[in-house]
Amino acid sequence: MTTKKWLQMGQYAAILLTTMLLGGCARHSPWWIFDPKGVGARASYDYMMIDIAVMLSIVGLTAIMIVWFMIRYRKGGGGGKYDGKWSHSMTIEFFTWGIPIAAVAFLSWAVAINGSFALNPYNPTVITHTMKPKGDPVDVDVIATDWQWLFIYPQFHHIAVANELVVPAHTPVFFKLTSTAVTTDFFVPQLVGMIDVMPGMRTKDALEVDHRGSYQGIAADYCGAGTSWMLFKTKVVSMRDFHRWVKTAEAQPETMNYHQFNEFARPYINVHYKTPIYGHVEPGLFNHVILEVMNGKKWPLPMFMTENMYAYLQKQAKEHRA
Amino acid sequence: MLVHVPGPWSPLLGRLALSEIPYKNLILAPLFVLIVLVGLALVGWITKRGLWGYLWREWFTTVDHKKLGIMYIFLGLVMLFRGFIDGLMIRTQQMLAVGPGDNGIKAMGAIHGYLTPFHFGQIYSAHGLIMILLAATPLLVGLMNIIVPLQIGARDMAFPYLNALGFWITAAGAALIMISLFVGDFSHNGWFGYAPIFEMSYSPGVGVDYWIWTLELIALGTTLGSINFLATVVKMRAPGMTWGRLPVFTWSAVSANIIALTSFPCLQVALALVGADRYLGTHFFTAGFGGNLMLYTNLFWLWGHPEVYFVILPAFGMLGEIIPTFSEKPLFGYVAMVLATFAIAGVSWIVWLHHFFTMGMGPYVSTEFSVATMLVGIPTGVKVFNWAFTMYRGRISYTAAMHWALGALFLLLIGGLTGMMLSIPAINYMVHNSVFVVAHFHMMLLCIVYAVFGAVIYWWPKVFGFRLNEAWGKIMFWLFSAGTALVFIPMFMLGFMGETRRLDWPFDPHWAGLFDVQEFGIAIYVLSVVSFVVLLFVSIRDRAKERVGADAWGTSRSLEWLTDSPVPFYNFAMVPEINARDEVAWRREHGFLDIRPDHYKAIHMPNNTPVALYIGATLFLLGFALTWRIWWLSGIALLATVALMIWRSAKGDPGYVISAEEIARLDREARQKMPVDGGDTVPVGGFAGGQIMAYSREVSDQDRSHRGPKSW
Ligand code: HEM
Ligand SMILES: [Cu+2]
Ligand SMILES: [Cu+2]
Repeated sequence: MTTKKWLQMGQYAAILLTTMLLGGCARHSPWWIFDPKGVGARASYDYMMIDIAVMLSIVGLTAIMIVWFMIRYRKGGGGGKYDGKWSHSMTIEFFTWGIPIAAVAFLSWAVAINGSFALNPYNPTVITHTMKPKGDPVDVDVIATDWQWLFIYPQFHHIAVANELVVPAHTPVFFKLTSTAVTTDFFVPQLVGMIDVMPGMRTKDALEVDHRGSYQGIAADYCGAGTSWMLFKTKVVSMRDFHRWVKTAEAQPETMNYHQFNEFARPYINVHYKTPIYGHVEPGLFNHVILEVMNGKKWPLPMFMTENMYAYLQKQAKEHRA
Repeated sequence: MLVHVPGPWSPLLGRLALSEIPYKNLILAPLFVLIVLVGLALVGWITKRGLWGYLWREWFTTVDHKKLGIMYIFLGLVMLFRGFIDGLMIRTQQMLAVGPGDNGIKAMGAIHGYLTPFHFGQIYSAHGLIMILLAATPLLVGLMNIIVPLQIGARDMAFPYLNALGFWITAAGAALIMISLFVGDFSHNGWFGYAPIFEMSYSPGVGVDYWIWTLELIALGTTLGSINFLATVVKMRAPGMTWGRLPVFTWSAVSANIIALTSFPCLQVALALVGADRYLGTHFFTAGFGGNLMLYTNLFWLWGHPEVYFVILPAFGMLGEIIPTFSEKPLFGYVAMVLATFAIAGVSWIVWLHHFFTMGMGPYVSTEFSVATMLVGIPTGVKVFNWAFTMYRGRISYTAAMHWALGALFLLLIGGLTGMMLSIPAINYMVHNSVFVVAHFHMMLLCIVYAVFGAVIYWWPKVFGFRLNEAWGKIMFWLFSAGTALVFIPMFMLGFMGETRRLDWPFDPHWAGLFDVQEFGIAIYVLSVVSFVVLLFVSIRDRAKERVGADAWGTSRSLEWLTDSPVPFYNFAMVPEINARDEVAWRREHGFLDIRPDHYKAIHMPNNTPVALYIGATLFLLGFALTWRIWWLSGIALLATVALMIWRSAKGDPGYVISAEEIARLDREARQKMPVDGGDTVPVGGFAGGQIMAYSREVSDQDRSHRGPKSW
């Protein structure tokens, strides 16, 4: 009775697992982690598959062994020989230690060590060593505020765009990241893993995409009431389209100096998906922000955005519906 | 004041004002009314039955480790329920809110779902903190409290008063987080808090202050408890209970409490520094003025990772007791098991960085912590294999307790597999802060919950003298397991779909179907909660039928099964002499199980005291007053606490002595009450040519209490 139920459970698990893995192969699948479109994300995926294969072969076999013991040595029926004294065996002990040690040794070398260098956010060798880029790398300075993203392109007339990232395909993109108020994570599931963005500090990450398209970017770490809305689309376009986009961006009349940035960085929930483009921002804005924050600059949260957000959110919702 | 506090403040009430009580909230106000009504009904019932005196004498002022253990478990179950309701609310919000458009319930001021983001944040923060520190921890501490002294043949914990103090301080922490529901609000920054969002500028309310003082109280209570456990096991073992004979559960309690004793101070320091930032205006963890916010993350996880092993190790110990009993075999590879336990405890100190690989610390540091983390997998694997080989060549009976233990084993396999994925930076970058992590640690924490339910069913007859209903125990197991599968398999899948954690508005409509499945799973969980209540009701109703003797399961192995069920308040009428690793199994095999002592000695016992309860109350007041910045009240509460401590220390407790005749009488009565016949009276140490001793001969009880720590 009970064993049958266990077997049934196993069956369901197997079915679910296969659907899960098949789901990973479908086109435009919602399984972002199984459907990597960036070099880094793909490497992560490969390492994940190695790890799952090794671990699943051990854990799976162990589970089967346990179920087998459970059936064979059940009281009154199983047919296994009872030996109430037996509690030790050097041979078994050798394997119980040996198998985990071997697995950990292999995984340490094959995935932990190699993977840490291959995907080191500051210098991912999968991008910097192995790829043959088709164009010059593009730099993007990322500033996260409460709760918006600002992407600045210092090589291109210091244009900037908020809440939307545009990058060329087949080209390495190098990010420098910081934040104004609190910590969060920069994350585009199909393209690049998470990296912390922290106020008063600079982190780095890199990206190279080989499929054009639009990919969801997320603020992955909780950073206050607006976290869920702190989204950005990552548009990956051809080099030609990218340059065309740069031209139109440069033509935008809006500009941003530190003073205007100060306004921009005030707590704001982007429920309307606004993606303003700035034709020119103050050169060095990124470092300026870091320095200001290090010297104690803050963008405090007003009380009405904490305990009682009712009024604020209702106002926002009304605007949203209008 | 040293820091600018937004909003009004008055010397008399601090930041407290009527507007802080959310009487307009459509969830909290009715809940408050309900709780008040239930509370009044309870108080009325107790008064009518005239139970206050009984409660005061037997429970509130007790220093008996068994009663304190029961109270710990009761607290843990209540908080488990509260945490479960939080979980239900989180799941419901995500199910309602998912997808584009504004689908919020306007009456509640929500754009998406039925909760505002800030309220949602408070719920998951409270959920996490409660489940780890106020459900899992008290459940485990409670079981250790009851079982460890019994397993080593001690009369009580080394410091019974300290034990009561630990409990009441923990209860004060629980009370503080519960009151945050109705007065002000709780932190919204997750159970571990983020720097610098918990600074005054970004969390101007009182939520973070509640969070600080709740954690500080629990940390204090747990640290005191861990000192007590270690002293007990080191100093209070019965004669013959050598380290090599210590039951595995006690071993795991030792390792867990070493972890607790060494790691909880880290948390206390980290939180004290957060408190300094918020109350004194220092800059430990601020972004500017030389503060270092990454330091907080390090300090927190320097405690946080050992903490997760502090909770899993006792659960491992429970599996190590339940599985051999119902396989009718000794544990496979005892020495390896103990070594593995300490290996896990040791390695748990050098892995904390795996909680924030994404901070960008460079490949060399990442690699070190990645490999160290994977090392934990080795002893964990050994343990799984050893439990499996305990069943091998066994005679397994599938009791309810065994169901839960085996369920825990399978959850551990999944948790270990996913843990080994997370410990690799290259993989971690993709799933860190996603619900995949959430699913990982729920597998592990549910492994603990399964082990605890197994252990409660397993040890229940020892504490109460009758067995729980087997059928309902199994029904609950299957319902609970169905709920687990339906909630957490979708959660793993959602992790692979890229859903990050803590979203009050899950924006991608693709996730909707799986949220519905999860909500269905929650409904099944609700059924399992109901079946738990039925289980208790049916078992208590039929208790006369299920009465058991000392050896409740007939196949039990360790020392706690030697003394009567329910355990008398002095634990053992005569301190037993230990002859073997599995003492009860050994005595059963040699036919000595039913031997009763032929003479008795006087026993020295500690007196009850209400001081622990008072200190719990003053510390609760201190936490509340500090949260609301009511300085005069904080001062009074602090003074009262210190005064009570000094007064109690100066007074001491001489304890009292139960005479040998009294013990003889009590023992005779207990024997008559038990369904299994007490055996023959055999002179102490008088059989098998004097080589085997059933009860301690060399050391009198009086001697023992003087050898041990002196002050009760
Ligand atoms: C084989 C053993 C284990 C390994 C290799 C492992 C690995 C990990 C890793 C690498 C993380 C960090 C994930 C991230 O945030 O990116 C993590 C998180 C976590 N683990 Fe484990 N783990 C193991 C066992 C356990 C156990 C026994 C528990 C406790 C019951 C546990 C509870 C947790 C919790 C609570 C978190 C997340 C805390 C949070 O972020 O809120 N893990 N684990
Ligand atoms: Cu940093
Ligand atoms: Cu950890």
